[in-house]
Amino acid sequence: MSEYQQFLAERDQIDFLIQKGFQISQVKEHLDGATVEFVHPKENITETLLIGNANARKYFSSLLIKQKQRRNG
Amino acid sequence: MADLRINLAGIKSPNPFWLASAPPTNSGYQVQRAFEAGWGGAVWKTLGDPILNVTSRFAAIHFNGRRVAGFNNIELITDRPLDVNLKEIYETKKKFPNHAVIASLMVEPKQEKWHEIVKRVEDVGVDGLELNFGCPHGMAERGMGSASGQVPALVEKQTYWVKEVAKTPVIVKLTPNITDITATAEAAANGGADAISMINTINSLMGVDLDTWNTIPHVAGKGAHGGYCGPAVKPIALNMVAECARHPNINVPISGIGGISNWQDAVEFMLMGATGVQVCTAAMHHGFRIVEDMIEGLDHYLDSKGIAAVSDIIGKSVPKYSDWGDLDLNYNIVARINTEVCINCNKCHIACEDTSHQCIERLTDGSGKSYLKVREEDCVGCNLCSIVCPVEGAIDMIEVPRELAPMTWNERQAALNAAVECQADVTK
Ligand SMILES: Cc1cc2nc3c(=O)[nH]c(=O)nc-3n(C[C@H](O)[C@H](O)[C@H](O)COP(=O)(O)O)c2cc1C
Repeated sequence: MSEYQQFLAERDQIDFLIQKGFQISQVKEHLDGATVEFVHPKENITETLLIGNANARKYFSSLLIKQKQRRNG
Repeated sequence: MADLRINLAGIKSPNPFWLASAPPTNSGYQVQRAFEAGWGGAVWKTLGDPILNVTSRFAAIHFNGRRVAGFNNIELITDRPLDVNLKEIYETKKKFPNHAVIASLMVEPKQEKWHEIVKRVEDVGVDGLELNFGCPHGMAERGMGSASGQVPALVEKQTYWVKEVAKTPVIVKLTPNITDITATAEAAANGGADAISMINTINSLMGVDLDTWNTIPHVAGKGAHGGYCGPAVKPIALNMVAECARHPNINVPISGIGGISNWQDAVEFMLMGATGVQVCTAAMHHGFRIVEDMIEGLDHYLDSKGIAAVSDIIGKSVPKYSDWGDLDLNYNIVARINTEVCINCNKCHIACEDTSHQCIERLTDGSGKSYLKVREEDCVGCNLCSIVCPVEGAIDMIEVPRELAPMTWNERQAALNAAVECQADVTK
């Protein structure tokens, strides 16, 4: 799979959870990329994604900043 | 015509082009001819206890048909007695009162030695002093030059001693042979320096002869490290100037030196914070008259931009120079090949395929003609293809419309850390 296809696949996984109302609650970075934890604020469910692709890691980081800005503001 | 005059810490000159302390400023005869050619200032060949030189002294690297891409020397400071130099400085200043004559000085790191030379030199009417804490060979083995210039405490102390007696502005010339030049620049400022100049030469060994196994250059079969300068060192010098210019504790003017060969180089150094520039290798390679093109080019550049005075460009690019952590991770460019200009040499394809991201494809059009195309979604915008491309205008790097808001590494890490803290709060 090309890097771009990998990006699309991981971005879809992230978007899927966000569209269902999940929010990023925690990010752990490690040698294999980042483990991103999502929680659903109402239903108290947690989901975890392993994001390895560099652009996908930029993508969830941008979403996290946006989420923080929305919360603050 | 734009106003090309500069004022570096009180040292005035008719233009920003000075000759650096080196062979071109060895004598009154040379400096006076340089001023006649148009140079605005000259930093006299370093004065101190007269030395003994070896021969040979220079070597150069010629790269792909370009002569003197890099230059190396194992020459020391002046080999002429101080009173001879002082007489010529006096005569030069009398003939050229509006040009800047700066005396470069180097003595042992002793207070009385600095006091003595400063007083004698200032008596003949120099416009300023430059302390040579940079020479990397020979003098360094005697505790002078870069040996004392690499120790911030010694830089500060010696600057302070000079400032105790100096009546003219004091420029401290820094060595690049140090991990972080801002450490010694700050020490110079703390010692009372009125300005700093950089860079002196970089430790180097130019090569080894494959037949004789001698070093290049060699002195009767033996070599020692020399000082490297010329066009090859420009990026190193420019970074050092920029790092000092943007440092919050270094608030003295900068005289930029290192690989400056034309007016464009000079403008770059000034945009990155230099008040003026000094030139050595380019003058040694092409003679004093290169300053004519420098003056003319600078003047046209300023006129074309509608800038009235060269001093208006000083430091204008400094706010654009930052830390990696402040760069936007979401800014994207991609390569685009102009097939009408491309000569199909395949260099970009090979470079991308072998050493980058494998996103340049060799395709065939309807008429069976092959062409190169970038798969833009996989291009990381590294620039390599456009760097190796031999044809001007065949590859453009194009800005991609933004999909995500700007985000720096520092902002990202702050957001990630805040998420972790937030999680910790929840679990409390
Ligand atoms: C042959 C030679 C002799 C030099 N002698 C001195 C010197 O006596 N004092 C000094 O401060 N710098 C000396 N330099 C360093 C230059 O002043 C300048 O800092 C360096 O060459 C970088 O500028 P460039 O790339 O324009 O040559 C010398 C350089 C060369 C090439």
